[in-house]
Amino acid sequence: MIPDDAVERLLESAQAIGNACDKANVQQWEVYATQGYGHSLEIEAGRISMASGGGEGGFGIRVVEDGRYGYAHLVDPSSASRAVEQALNIAKRSPSIEGFELPADNPANKVGGMKDKAILDMGPEDLLEQGDQVLTRVAELDPRAIAVGGGIGVGAGAGAIVTSSGIQEGGIHTSHGLGIHVSIDEDDQLTSSYEGESSRSILKDLTSSVDKAVHWSQATREKIPGGETEDCPILMTSDGFSRLFSVVVPAAIKGERLARGESFWSGRMNQNVIADHLSLVDDGLMEGGMASGSRDDEGVPSRTQTLVESGRLTGELWSTRDAAKLVAEGKVSSAQSTGSASRGGHTSPPICGCSDLTLSSSANTMSRERLIEEMDDGYVIHSVMGAHTANPTSGDFSVTTSTILRVEGGQVIGSLSQAGLSGNMAKALAGRVVLGDSHKRKGSYSTGSMHVPDILLMDGLRINPA
Amino acid sequence: MVVATRQTDSSISSGRMLDEDKITKALNFASSLGAEYAEIRLVSETTNTASLKDGKLERAIPGQEVGVTMRILADGAWGVHSTSDISSIVQQVESTFRLAKAVAARRSPSQTAVGLAEVPIIQDEIHWKSAKDTRDTDLDKRIELMLAIDNEAKDDSRIVSTATGWSDEHIHTELMTSEGMNRVWSFQRSLINGMVTARDGDDVVSYRMRHGGEGGLEVIESCDLGEMGRNAKVSALRLLSAERAPSGKMPLVADRDLTGVYIHEALGHPCEADLVAAGDSCLEGRLGQTIGSEICTVVDDPTLRGGYGCYPIDDEGVDPRPKNLIVNGVLTEYLNHRETAQRYDLEPNGGARAQDGLHHPLVRMSNTIIQGGTHQDLDELIEDIEYGIYACGSRGGQVDTGRGSFQFAAQEAWIIENGSLSRPVKDVSVSGMTLQILKDVDGLTRDAHLAAPGFCGKGQTVPVGDGGPLMRIREALVG
Repeated sequence: MIPDDAVERLLESAQAIGNACDKANVQQWEVYATQGYGHSLEIEAGRISMASGGGEGGFGIRVVEDGRYGYAHLVDPSSASRAVEQALNIAKRSPSIEGFELPADNPANKVGGMKDKAILDMGPEDLLEQGDQVLTRVAELDPRAIAVGGGIGVGAGAGAIVTSSGIQEGGIHTSHGLGIHVSIDEDDQLTSSYEGESSRSILKDLTSSVDKAVHWSQATREKIPGGETEDCPILMTSDGFSRLFSVVVPAAIKGERLARGESFWSGRMNQNVIADHLSLVDDGLMEGGMASGSRDDEGVPSRTQTLVESGRLTGELWSTRDAAKLVAEGKVSSAQSTGSASRGGHTSPPICGCSDLTLSSSANTMSRERLIEEMDDGYVIHSVMGAHTANPTSGDFSVTTSTILRVEGGQVIGSLSQAGLSGNMAKALAGRVVLGDSHKRKGSYSTGSMHVPDILLMDGLRINPA
Repeated sequence: MVVATRQTDSSISSGRMLDEDKITKALNFASSLGAEYAEIRLVSETTNTASLKDGKLERAIPGQEVGVTMRILADGAWGVHSTSDISSIVQQVESTFRLAKAVAARRSPSQTAVGLAEVPIIQDEIHWKSAKDTRDTDLDKRIELMLAIDNEAKDDSRIVSTATGWSDEHIHTELMTSEGMNRVWSFQRSLINGMVTARDGDDVVSYRMRHGGEGGLEVIESCDLGEMGRNAKVSALRLLSAERAPSGKMPLVADRDLTGVYIHEALGHPCEADLVAAGDSCLEGRLGQTIGSEICTVVDDPTLRGGYGCYPIDDEGVDPRPKNLIVNGVLTEYLNHRETAQRYDLEPNGGARAQDGLHHPLVRMSNTIIQGGTHQDLDELIEDIEYGIYACGSRGGQVDTGRGSFQFAAQEAWIIENGSLSRPVKDVSVSGMTLQILKDVDGLTRDAHLAAPGFCGKGQTVPVGDGGPLMRIREALVG
């Protein structure tokens, strides 16, 4: 899937662009390079509708002159001199940040599980066979069920970073992902569920997501009338909660947002911010982590950092420039990179973001069944619509769900057709919380990779049945 | 098949990037292998993004990205190859053809083979020239215009930060097909946005604003940016003291932004014929049926110049035209591309859009607008509402097209009491079922136009415009 010498070629091209920077007498420079290859198929209306393949890549150049930075990106290395000139012109217009320099070359730990040879060896036919398996599984589980949408993809990407301070590192990572949208449309009632997962190594059991999609399409067919609006306990499955969590929490733990008063946890360092048995760890070194690696996206060695320990806010995330900027502005007395620079690809300079973010509990965790018993009266919610409309500044959210089960006396008694779910994430996590011991959803969002189990939130949430 | 040749519409041309001889040979090769159809589409984007944080330049990024995608239809199935290495595309014909054949081999006899509706075969160039070309705009000008927002947004001690952003792009597309289509088109889009964050004790809120459209610098210069900044500041400060919105079913009046998001999510997506074909639309089989109030007429119009979602040619080379999705409450048209037009025996209406040169076209909306009604203004819309919500500004929305359920969120809102706006509330979201709530629209003001530009995600992200008049819904689920 990927040429054997892909990394070497990237490093060579990146170095050539670096040479163009040297020729232009750039004080400090960084070249970030990516090249990706992959195969994918699309599922539609119960069949494979399309198969595709291809590759893309490019280079991003960051130059720093007296604390000012400029950026430009390009596809063809032969146009490097023009891009370097553009980046330098932008640097001249940028504010000078005292103390801002590109990261030095410090030793980094290798992270395992980033590459799976089985994925590298996969071809389009292998993927089509997986598509057949998925469609067969849907039909086997429930003849009424149809895979109305989804897809499977495998990819291999080469990445490299070369800087004037001596960082020269590259590597290959792989990925395998599945998304499946199943619906059951019978007796004028349509129920559906979308499930997905992704991994750096080959997904050995493609059927688990399919089983879950069919299960939730079936489990939500026994409708009961919606009751009154009420504030009540809510059990959110890992799948539903991770989506909402990914919009709100990663933004709240960025050093810049905390320092500027833009986070609902601003001014709360070393204070209890969530339930005292909960901890939040950002792990940039997670084996096989979708957002992990030996270095962050500006070359700083990755690390594992506890951000909330036993409910107390203890850490924050910084990129090199943000740290220097907030110190220079006097917003914080000291700050330095926490190896938390990330970027969407070669077209963007690094910004601060989390890696593999894990929410855990030191208290007893429970199976989903036990959590339902513990809840007594309330609702189970598996997916929400509109998670992206949550407000990361305040933590407030107001979303909609059609995958919601009513629980009374510790038993599921039926499903609502639709309901609103609203509350405040910070307040809900600071209330009574019990975590599940369930399998965590595997996957990542634009804000990083979330590792959260099922969660029972006893306080601060409101259900508004349709 | 009709063949038409038109002249270039404008004197400007940004030059061909595809080697026409090589591409023609590659397309002919695909046909010789047995392909029913083959196309190669290149998109080159010259972009500039920039942002300020608290009035200081945070980032400015000039970019030049190119992508090319080949689609081959063989035995009624698609094979696709995409790459940023333009020169390599012609080497991928055989493998992409085999991919299509492998997909076709898996189709059961009961499943429909892909076919394409006939369209005029055109060779031409269309270049929409901006009054002020984005490529002639320098960074100082962009900073000056962003500062015009920033300077007005922050003179209050409770404003803890401001952020402004800029994006402009020149999009150049070339499409050649095995049918002989050979079209080149280009146009530009520009956007400016900002966000104000305010804090009072533990209460922290933010308010976002956005302006943009098809065109160059003139799009941004046409906006009163100072007023935009002042309005954002006032709204953010108002949210600080707003109470949490009530929950329940109640009358709702939406401003233009929310009317646009509502019509985009609740109606536009279920009208996309590829979702209908996938069995994932609540509007399947409902063409010709009354699905909404008779005061509802909705148009999706890619030809509405200046709208953020317009384009001169769709990404299958079809001339776009306005689509009347609902006329007086009756569903009259789906958005389609050539594949779905063929499947449902419809006239192709130019609804195929791809995110960029590395993606294949899907059926997408462009500028979606609900037409005006008979109410004079907001006062007249709310005068007989005893208790309800007036919601303004969009935080986005989402739809489950199969179920027909949707959700959208407002930036700010007011309680309506006894026919008047009483007090501000925050965290308002609205949800409902498409087939019910369209019937509950019972009031529209006269003046309909596009609201703030937006982006629509459907696996791929494309710019869209939407809007309408102020709209009243008899009963909506709020909170």
